[in-house]
Amino acid sequence: MSRDDILQTVKQNVAEFKPLPKYLKDTEQQSAEKLKEIFIKYLKQVGAQFIELKSNEDIAPFIAEHFPGAFDFGKNDIWEEYSEYCPKEKLNQLETVMLEGQLGVAENGAIWLNDSDFPNRLIPFIAQQVIIKLDSDKIVSNMIEAYRKINLENAGFGVFISGPSKTADIEQSLVYGAHGPKELKVILYSREKTNSKNVR
Amino acid sequence: MTGHSEKAGQFLKDEKRADWHDQTLWIVRQKRDKAAWSVSEWEGLREYASQIKDHVLSNLDDYLIQFEEKAVENGVNVHWASNAHEFNEIILHIVKANNAVKIVKSKSMLTEECGLNPFLEKNGLEVVDTDLGERIIQFRNEPPSHIVLPAIHLKKEEIGELFHEKLHTEKGASDPKYLTAAARVHLREKFLSADIAITGVNFAVADSGTVVVCTNEGNADMGVHAAPVQIHCMGIEKIIPRAEDLAVFTRLLARSATGQPITTYTSHYRKPKAGGQMHVVIVDNGRSKSLGREKYRNSLKCIRCGACMNTCPVYRSSGGHSYSYVIPGPVGSILAPGSDINKFNDLPFASSLCGSCTNVCPVKIDIHNLLYDWRQEIVERKLLPPVKMFFLKITGKVLSQSSFYNLSGKVARWALRNFPRKMVYHRINVWGWGRELPEVPKESFKQRYRKNSQKRRVRNEQR
Repeated sequence: MSRDDILQTVKQNVAEFKPLPKYLKDTEQQSAEKLKEIFIKYLKQVGAQFIELKSNEDIAPFIAEHFPGAFDFGKNDIWEEYSEYCPKEKLNQLETVMLEGQLGVAENGAIWLNDSDFPNRLIPFIAQQVIIKLDSDKIVSNMIEAYRKINLENAGFGVFISGPSKTADIEQSLVYGAHGPKELKVILYSREKTNSKNVR
Repeated sequence: MTGHSEKAGQFLKDEKRADWHDQTLWIVRQKRDKAAWSVSEWEGLREYASQIKDHVLSNLDDYLIQFEEKAVENGVNVHWASNAHEFNEIILHIVKANNAVKIVKSKSMLTEECGLNPFLEKNGLEVVDTDLGERIIQFRNEPPSHIVLPAIHLKKEEIGELFHEKLHTEKGASDPKYLTAAARVHLREKFLSADIAITGVNFAVADSGTVVVCTNEGNADMGVHAAPVQIHCMGIEKIIPRAEDLAVFTRLLARSATGQPITTYTSHYRKPKAGGQMHVVIVDNGRSKSLGREKYRNSLKCIRCGACMNTCPVYRSSGGHSYSYVIPGPVGSILAPGSDINKFNDLPFASSLCGSCTNVCPVKIDIHNLLYDWRQEIVERKLLPPVKMFFLKITGKVLSQSSFYNLSGKVARWALRNFPRKMVYHRINVWGWGRELPEVPKESFKQRYRKNSQKRRVRNEQR
């Protein structure tokens, strides 16, 4: 049987045992304000557009005003309508969707989402435009810290998304919207509630 | 089979294109530098990544078993293939068992290595490569010329012409935005109608049975989540122990590859979708044997970022197709002879041994040293062509005895001055094919040194 043959040969041929290395010392802790600043810098670099709102309560009116057709997956009826069994032809009609991210990574503008953030795994990829809202307190410095907070065993599928779908396969010219969303908008909000909003 | 140097010669005939190729890849290398320097602990990360790989390669059997156990627990079907033939049969079996005919594939060098596409096509199936660059070269019936930028050898006008023929884009249109949009429409239809999606694997995490795939286009996810059956194909060396190790590799991969801080999508597949099937095929195809060759074991650390290609002066000016092996460039040239030393005995010589590849490698493979080791093994096994063998033998004799060396220098200096041009630039002098020899000095360095140090001595004595 191939499995046993392969494992047998591997066992015979592995190098002398070397232990896992000790991790490099942790990078300096940065303030939440600084992390946000770096995160925004990288969001721009990876082609995402960024919007800052003062609080979670400001998001619904903002969406209603600027993206009136957006499907908000924070709503139960929409969650049920586009469930895991939803036909892909229907999903293919999705123009703009809004999802909530769990975690942002300052060093690369990536945002973590998993099965608990969308009812169907195609949603973040098949929609023409994706809006991800993220609590600005949930930004960590780098991937090391990100994976410390993530438990892969919590979901069947999870993904870091950094910017809109892109390609440079034709003469290295960068084009957004290779297969997935042509635009990615990130709404950063703070937990404390105030009334003003600030759109950049 | 024509060797690397002949094919490189072909590539260089179109000087303008060769220059473009060279410069474009150099820009990618510069982007890599900028991204690497933005991470203060970059060198520490490389070392750490290299040591994780060392650890994995010293405990690979246990990690493979752990990965399998976890994956099975997660509801994944795990298959094992000893070689390319078995691998292709396993895929065909899954396809047949699901009565599938339409297959979409995202980039996987492993399926290239195993010749999966031609095999499935021979069996009457439609296989569509969905990475834009891969789709382009699939239309052209060519292998990729770079592992990250598969169509880097082509100009947009050629792609415009190709898309006009295949996708009915406007004749003469070559705007990358326009062409990408046409491919998007074409491929979206393929995604939505596919029965099976196949992907490669960047990393397989042993302690949770997760496979991780990194793309910029989102093609792996479009395929995997749309098709009822998903198949992920991985070489045995893709294993890493834990999620926290992923952190190290995802920090290194895209920065090394294209200078991006991370790929757009880093997807973690652990369980099948509702009502779907998930398969993982673990492939050996010579890797377990390479593991036993101590010298070359390091080549199994490769994470396929392509940085060594972008920086290599030989790769940049000879193009990926000149290498004839599925993975071109420096790392390909140490992997190729491991898979078939007779067939690929010229590749370790397609290098200047400048060491730039080693300097950029994110997992610190000492590529240029391994190239040098392969050269020695190839000479020892007498696998070089007779002419090269003959010259190396003479050179060895000449360099080992100083009287011989001095004499041959004298003879050469005289001959190069006095022989007719035709004799110096003879067919047999391959160095003279593409370049002029430098002007011949009157004396050797040794003579000059002796003369000058004598002068200095006299001067010092006069003081």
